Amino acid sequence: MTEEMERDENVFLMGEEVAQYNGAYKVSEGMLAKFGPRRVFDTPISEAAFSGLGVGAATMGLRPIIEFMSWSFTLVCLDQIVNNAANVRYMSGGQYKVPIVFRGGNGIAHQLGATHSHRVETIYARIPGLIVVSPSTAYDAKGLLKSSIRCNDPVIFLESEKMLNETSEVPDDPEFLLPLGVANVEREGSEVTVVSYGRTMQRVTRAAVKSLVDEGVDVELIDLRTLRPLDTATLVQSIQKTGRCVIVDEDYGYCGMGQAIMASVYKRVFDYLDAPIAHVHSDEIPVPFNHYLEEAMMPSEERVIAAVKDVCYR
Amino acid sequence: MAVAQAVEPKEVTNTQGAKSGSQGSKGEVERARLRMMMLIRRFEERTYQEYTKPGQKIGGFCHLYSGQEAIAVAIAAHFRKGVDALINGYRCHGHSLALGMDPKPAMAELFGKATGCSKGKGGSMHFFDAEAGNHGGHGIVGGQLPLGLGFAFSQWYKKNSGVTFCLFGDGAINQGTHNEALNMASLLKVPCIFMVENNLMAMGTQVERHSAVTDLSQRAAGYNMPARNVDAMDLDIAIAEIGKAVERGRNNEGPSYLVMNTYRYRGHSMSDPLKYRPKEEADKWKARDPITLYEARLREQKLVDDPWLETAAEEIAATVNEAIAKADSDPHPELDDRFDDILAETYPYGS
Ligand SMILES: Cc1ncc(C[n+]2csc(CCOP(=O)(O)OP(=O)(O)O)c2C)c(N)n1
Ligand SMILES: [Mg+2]
Repeated sequence: MTEEMERDENVFLMGEEVAQYNGAYKVSEGMLAKFGPRRVFDTPISEAAFSGLGVGAATMGLRPIIEFMSWSFTLVCLDQIVNNAANVRYMSGGQYKVPIVFRGGNGIAHQLGATHSHRVETIYARIPGLIVVSPSTAYDAKGLLKSSIRCNDPVIFLESEKMLNETSEVPDDPEFLLPLGVANVEREGSEVTVVSYGRTMQRVTRAAVKSLVDEGVDVELIDLRTLRPLDTATLVQSIQKTGRCVIVDEDYGYCGMGQAIMASVYKRVFDYLDAPIAHVHSDEIPVPFNHYLEEAMMPSEERVIAAVKDVCYR
Repeated sequence: MAVAQAVEPKEVTNTQGAKSGSQGSKGEVERARLRMMMLIRRFEERTYQEYTKPGQKIGGFCHLYSGQEAIAVAIAAHFRKGVDALINGYRCHGHSLALGMDPKPAMAELFGKATGCSKGKGGSMHFFDAEAGNHGGHGIVGGQLPLGLGFAFSQWYKKNSGVTFCLFGDGAINQGTHNEALNMASLLKVPCIFMVENNLMAMGTQVERHSAVTDLSQRAAGYNMPARNVDAMDLDIAIAEIGKAVERGRNNEGPSYLVMNTYRYRGHSMSDPLKYRPKEEADKWKARDPITLYEARLREQKLVDDPWLETAAEEIAATVNEAIAKADSDPHPELDDRFDDILAETYPYGS
């Protein structure tokens, strides 16, 4: 964010506690000191007002970064994002563009209960007019966020407060960008395609794939990086090659991201499949507070491994 | 669950709008109120210790009520079990205890146990006690206001002279629900008592940085309902002021808006280092601590003395320790319990 704000005077940051408190999760630490109160703003707890403010400012040529403490809180300002951000361009026949990034923590953090643990990806990924991005490493987060800030469309940027302490090698090059809408084949393999994204990658998928590879299963691992538009080309190519696929996410199964991904590729991979596509997802329940129940509802390494072995008939 | 075995049961049945000395021995009601404030403080401070000690057994967000006790206890002084309703945000331990929740299921909920007041599914932000008329703590800022409107609507509809205590923080007045709920409550003339627990801060944002006016009673201007500032560090003042709004509600005269001016002693939640406020400010408020203030008044009136206070403090400490020990040894919910309580009916193909 700092690099992009240095580069472009029109970029500003707004949200609850982003300025004087340095960010509820310290993401914007030092940014108020660096850029001053004209470009880094604290807001009241008025998500509808400040997300709409961002949309308005974006159509006027600014490039807002709007931080939500949690994506769960955007249920109170869905109208501004879904009706306004996503539709203004279309309804005006292309007269306006909406270059804005909405960002914050998505998904199940830890013991935050039913109202604070929503996985909002399918709420937004089904809306034409929005871009939905979900990084799984610090490297990806940097490259994708910079691209999102430069993007001329509204971007839903799904972080996880549980990943903020994750570190990985990050290029210093201020022009380091990762393309939106392109998946990352993290490991090439021949036997089975495993598809995942965001925190699920970091929490279970990578570890499960590592154990499988250690056991001799030649997994191809795809990190989606962008959920809308979905990189179906990479997925189809991979599944046609391996003939087997397991999708892993923390969303619900029914009407969830995994089902949407499956439906997007099924027709083109059907004739190549040696087993039905499997989907490891969270239980169809509100998120419980109790630690053990919460853990139990989410995909585990064991469940991923079992699903992969199942489609591989091992 | 609504039975407060923690304190002498007789003394906490002050949810009947009891007047001083109207029942039992002289000062019984006052002592029960003091005792309840002491219990809430102790419960919260011990929760802080349990949360922060190594091997942490309490997880998730946890917002403590220390400093604000007089509000919950003043509400309880008027609360008519069976017809009245209360709802508030996530800072909900104090109100639950004041409305009679036993500290055991309260503490067990913090530990996520099956014996918790929400069976370990809610946690610190979601204490519920249906029998007591406690419609819970709610996690989305401002999300509870329309629900409070709905309780008041049903009280109006049923003509049962019940009132709703609809509580929220100073930060919540900046949500759209505040505008919508106040306007409708006034239009419908329902018995909703909107109570801002104004502790001067929404997380790290002080009132003067989040509200265009710092006299928050002005935020209820334009809705045609009485709005007042209340010194909520003084229990007697709080009881009297809430009383006026309650009377108005019970007489079918419509909603009220009360700004309960108070202070939160601890950080917003457990991870808050409190860097944003000067110590002098906190000290100034603590000099008018609601418990100390009320205790001094009862001493003056010779309703309490050192031996009583010492015994009460010891008993409360023991009660809270017992609740912690029990919460610690109580069972976690069965893993399969996570599929219960989602829908009220059963359907042929599951949920
Ligand atoms: C819609 C929404 N936005 C943001 C949050 C995060 N949040 C939780 S508490 C809080 C501060 C609320 O302050 P206030 O209303 O004054 O209540 P207090 O904590 O002081 O009791 C914020 C911003 C939330 N829970 N819901
Ligand atoms: Mg507050």
